[in-house]
Amino acid sequence: MEKGATLKSKGKEGSFKGKDDSSIKSKYGRKVRINFEGPLEPKTLSSPKYVGKDDTPFPKGYSSKGGKGDKIANGGKTPAKEPQPLELKIELELPENVKCISMMDCEAASILQGIQDQMVTLSKDPELKLPVPFDKGLQYAKRGVHYTNPQSVRKVLETLTKHGVSNSELCVIANVGPESVDEVFSLVPSLKAKRSKLSEPLKGVLSELAKLKESANLASQLEEESQHGGKSTQGGKFT
Amino acid sequence: MFFHIVLERNMQLHPRHFGRNLRDNIVAKLMKDVEGTCSGRHGFVVAITGIENIGKGLIRDGTGFVSFPVKYQCVVFRPFKGEILEAVVTMVNKMGFFAEAGPVQIFVSNHLIPDDMEFQSGDMPNYTTSDGSVKIQKDSEVRLKIIGTRVDATEIFCIGTIKDDFLGVINDPAAA
Repeated sequence: MEKGATLKSKGKEGSFKGKDDSSIKSKYGRKVRINFEGPLEPKTLSSPKYVGKDDTPFPKGYSSKGGKGDKIANGGKTPAKEPQPLELKIELELPENVKCISMMDCEAASILQGIQDQMVTLSKDPELKLPVPFDKGLQYAKRGVHYTNPQSVRKVLETLTKHGVSNSELCVIANVGPESVDEVFSLVPSLKAKRSKLSEPLKGVLSELAKLKESANLASQLEEESQHGGKSTQGGKFT
Repeated sequence: MFFHIVLERNMQLHPRHFGRNLRDNIVAKLMKDVEGTCSGRHGFVVAITGIENIGKGLIRDGTGFVSFPVKYQCVVFRPFKGEILEAVVTMVNKMGFFAEAGPVQIFVSNHLIPDDMEFQSGDMPNYTTSDGSVKIQKDSEVRLKIIGTRVDATEIFCIGTIKDDFLGVINDPAAA
């Protein structure tokens, strides 16, 4: 069953069934964690002693289920398999001859909001009605927005492109709004390969984003407060 | 994730729409035909944002209809494998739960929910940790990772997981 599952997933990326998924995924999840702890220590400490120390517990933990085979699979698979899900696919799946730019949720929200506002003025014509996916899309884009100004977010994130981070990866980072560097690497595994190079610039970017987020929060809070203030005075009038 | 993308489509128009308003008619028909549809390749076409150009019309033999090649920009929403999404739970059952991120439906099987979360039946079915600190029920917001998509001509169906680091409930309506 295991063999079948891995074969299938290799042969045909697109065809997914519940069972195959879970077996792949549970293995994958475990590996992620181990990989995560592994290279982190030796890299930050970068002394050969630690590498040696780190090596020993590795097979031990794994020897209970599969031992050597698992270790080999672990070494060989993670780099080959993990970068694939995120960026490669996206360019492959969309036809090459069309222009295609991935957008952050906040950018999408501002565009869609603009269309909706425009639509309100045109809505005398009942024929022109925005479809359900539009509303859902707008709702989704607005809900996930952590920032008020898409351009400034874009500007902050674009500093990462020179480190080889693709546009779609930038968008995922913006949409998720991670708080720590570890979170980024865990959620966007394709970046792990560049971990040593990326950690520092990422830290800067995240703190910048946190500032932007805070200012956005403040703005929305102020807005809410002013609304609430209006309401309470109204309420006061009624009583 | 949302994309801004340029697509092309042949619009067939009846001759009664010709004349001064030809362009407007083509655009109106395009919006009616395309917005809100889902193509497996590009995802959900959420909105058309602009027309790049409209080519020369070609008369269809025998019918009198004329087809115009139209290049247009649009915003599409397409999930892809490995993407992290924030989704709202719409239904919970013992097989797992369904969640919605924009126009896309995502199913998270109970195999892909952390092992320490148990299914609780009742009029508000949910998944809860043994200490009761984390609860997934209808209208919860979860952060999930898409691990598989099935794409066919008219719909996109996703399988997601919350069994990984930094995934799971981000907002619990019961606690709020």
